[in-house]
Amino acid sequence: MTAPFQRALRGLKEHTYLAAVATGVIAAVLVLLGVYALVVVNLQAALSGWQEDVHVSAYFNADVSAADQLTAQATIATRTEVASVELVTAPMAAAWMKERVPEVGPLLVELGDSALPASLEVSLRPASTSPAAMDGFAASLSATGQFAEIDYGREWVERAAAFLATLSLLGGVLGIILVVAALFLVGNTIHLVVYARRDELEILRLVGATESYIVTPFLIEGFLEGLVASAFALAILQFVHHGVVLRLHETVPIAFGGQDLAFLPASILFGLVATGITIGILAGWVAVRRFLARLA
Amino acid sequence: MIRLYHIVKSYGDRDALRDISLHIQKGEMVYITGPSGAGKSTLLKMVYGAEHPTSGKLLIGGVDVSKMKHAELPSLRRNMGVVFQDFKLLPSRSVAQNVAMALEVIGASAESIRRRVPAVLNIVGLKGREDDLAGVLSGGEKQRVAIARAIVNDPAMLLADEPTGNLDGAMAVEVMEILQAINLRGTTVLVATHDVGLMDRFPYRKLRFVDGRLVVSPTKGSRS
Ligand SMILES: Nc1ncnc2c1ncn2[C@@H]1O[C@H](COP(=O)(O)OP(=O)(O)OP(=O)(O)O)[C@@H](O)[C@H]1O
Ligand SMILES: [Mg+2]
Repeated sequence: MTAPFQRALRGLKEHTYLAAVATGVIAAVLVLLGVYALVVVNLQAALSGWQEDVHVSAYFNADVSAADQLTAQATIATRTEVASVELVTAPMAAAWMKERVPEVGPLLVELGDSALPASLEVSLRPASTSPAAMDGFAASLSATGQFAEIDYGREWVERAAAFLATLSLLGGVLGIILVVAALFLVGNTIHLVVYARRDELEILRLVGATESYIVTPFLIEGFLEGLVASAFALAILQFVHHGVVLRLHETVPIAFGGQDLAFLPASILFGLVATGITIGILAGWVAVRRFLARLA
Repeated sequence: MIRLYHIVKSYGDRDALRDISLHIQKGEMVYITGPSGAGKSTLLKMVYGAEHPTSGKLLIGGVDVSKMKHAELPSLRRNMGVVFQDFKLLPSRSVAQNVAMALEVIGASAESIRRRVPAVLNIVGLKGREDDLAGVLSGGEKQRVAIARAIVNDPAMLLADEPTGNLDGAMAVEVMEILQAINLRGTTVLVATHDVGLMDRFPYRKLRFVDGRLVVSPTKGSRS
């Protein structure tokens, strides 16, 4: 018996062009999915970087003494959600402001050292940067009555998280549309292959071939096309990623907090390969079944 | 071997076969004859399971194939060879590869394929032509390859739908001689044809159809 694998290879040899088209379509879809995943993965990394950086600025009331400020700093430093607390005294704040905005120097001198309030700059542990956790933390600070204002950029965190959620959802929807479109395109390409081989299939049917005997080589072809397409797609993605990183080094050296763009994690790479192979096999299956149903 | 009981086959409101009952014995050779559109191909299609009767019963070797499921078709076809007017060969493959297809689908070993293909080509008079491409053969040679493919499994019956339809006189006679030889080895042979000259030269029982009805069914070997 000619093994189904050999028959698949013979089939590929007999219609190389169509096989190449099917492979190209799968590869193109995987590249699109991969590029999108690269964008999402890196935005996520950047956002979580920024989220880690999220800190709470608590401005003391004017009547809190320097000693009480130190005590407050020490107390807050012991809380589990806090990574670090820095005390910015009024003179430090004024000095920082003078350095940043020299024009206000004379004005600050006139108003005296206490022109700007002292503050605690609290960095939270990553686990405690969710909008809800930050709300709770801020509420507990204001409950002490020592602070005039608590500033924690809550809106920004929320908006960034919402944006990323939308982006992921959009990616999911686009991804499904792409995969369905690919199934359709590859299915039609394989259908052309099936059509080109209709005489052979008809003969196989007449001499008593079982359905699986006829279908299996097409599934193997689909598998091989998906596999080759995945290899191409990963190579192209690697190339694109490398190119973009180089370009970023030339133009914005500290983009994304000075970190290089990450490549896709193994789980996503594996997912892309699995998607490519699945498209190939499924398209082959649908195309042959559609044809056999008509052949009777 | 083949028994039909009140077989009716309709396509929409056109009846291709109307109330056909007949019996073909094991080892017999018969003609299915009649004018164009009489239902000859339709009858053969039902025997090899490409069509189901609209009503009636069709037994092959005692098995009712009128209700045969799709998945059972391969086992039916492995026990019969089918030959057509247009040969149905793959022109870009060799003679041997074309014949071997029928063995490959039943899972025959490479060794038995190597042994049986030349043997069957010998029977149809194509000894030594294994490696020729099927596409370059003459019509008569192509039909002989098709017959070789049909009988390489040693099927119990051979169905031939106008096997000489595309062949000129001498080639048609050659093909008929081969079918005759196959029948002599014990295979039941059904030949659909309207070539009166050939039927006279190779006299067997005729099942004559007109407009979907079986009109004459004389006894074996008689002339119409
Ligand atoms: N698939 C089909 N759909 C509709 N009508 C059909 C179909 N197949 C056959 N017929 C009709 O059934 C009748 C018998 O057709 P069939 O092919 O059996 O004739 P035949 O005796 O083989 O003729 P020929 O000598 O021309 O081959 C014809 O009227 C034909 O038009
Ligand atoms: Mg016909």
